[in-house]
Amino acid sequence: MWLWFSKLGSPKWFYELSGKWLPWLIAVMSLLLIIGIVWALLFVPPDYQQGNTIRIMYIHVPFASISLAFFPLMAVAGTITLVWRMKLADMVAKTAAPLGAWFTALALISGSIWGSDIWGTWWIWDGRLTSMLLQFFLLIGVISLRSALEDTEAASKACAVLSIVGCINVFVIKFSVDWWNTLHQPAGSFSLADDAPNPPEVWVPLVVMILAIYCFFAVSLILATRNEILVRERRAQWVEDLACNS
Amino acid sequence: MFENVQFSSLSDFFAMGGYAFNVWSVYLLFVVFFAINLAVPVIRKKQILREQKRRLVLAQESRVRRETGNDTVL
Repeated sequence: MWLWFSKLGSPKWFYELSGKWLPWLIAVMSLLLIIGIVWALLFVPPDYQQGNTIRIMYIHVPFASISLAFFPLMAVAGTITLVWRMKLADMVAKTAAPLGAWFTALALISGSIWGSDIWGTWWIWDGRLTSMLLQFFLLIGVISLRSALEDTEAASKACAVLSIVGCINVFVIKFSVDWWNTLHQPAGSFSLADDAPNPPEVWVPLVVMILAIYCFFAVSLILATRNEILVRERRAQWVEDLACNS
Repeated sequence: MFENVQFSSLSDFFAMGGYAFNVWSVYLLFVVFFAINLAVPVIRKKQILREQKRRLVLAQESRVRRETGNDTVL
């Protein structure tokens, strides 16, 4: 177990393993995306209230749900950095922050475009929207904190602490729709019954899209982490060999 | 399978029942974000390796110069 753990922490090992996994992950992502998008755009029946704007859900919900994973991910990586000083964990934490900011922004913008018609407003200070905006600013905070501190070790420690504290907001986002019942609808239910409020022909493609965006998240994070490894390990023999043979 | 398509014509599909702007802007945003997010790291990787290679070549050259006392570049 500990051998496996220390091996996983080795940037070289991760670089080689992720290189083997990436083509498969990209293949699965592409397949799920094609199925999900064609299904969402062509086959999902229009909602009886929202009409064709229901198709926005298949982009908005996957991005919004994966956005919630960034702070827990950075907190776990940060804890590993603080306790075991694993280099790889800090690299993941560093690359996750800007990626999280983009994903959160896309969730906010797509939600805003959706709401502009069905709610009649682009923005409202509703609990869900406000806590999501707070997450966006927290992520910007983590990014600036890292670039502001010149001592890289101090920067990664400070970011780790901020990531752990930032997890509180994830709970606020999650339960905001139950605490403040203003405009954003609560999470839907998945049921196989034909007369359920969310019939399978609506939520099955959503599950496909959620899985596709999870794969997209994994691919993006791995690609960015691999670059971070190449930069930080540039003095290592294996990176020099890689550069010479490129 | 095709009888389940919700649109009767291509123009009907683009019109999205009057929500063309909302639906298509979100999907366009997604496609742009998706493409950039995959292209940028790939370009960045090439750039990192190129810089790395240049640094190694320069280091190699200066080592040779020091050892031979010769100023001509190989």
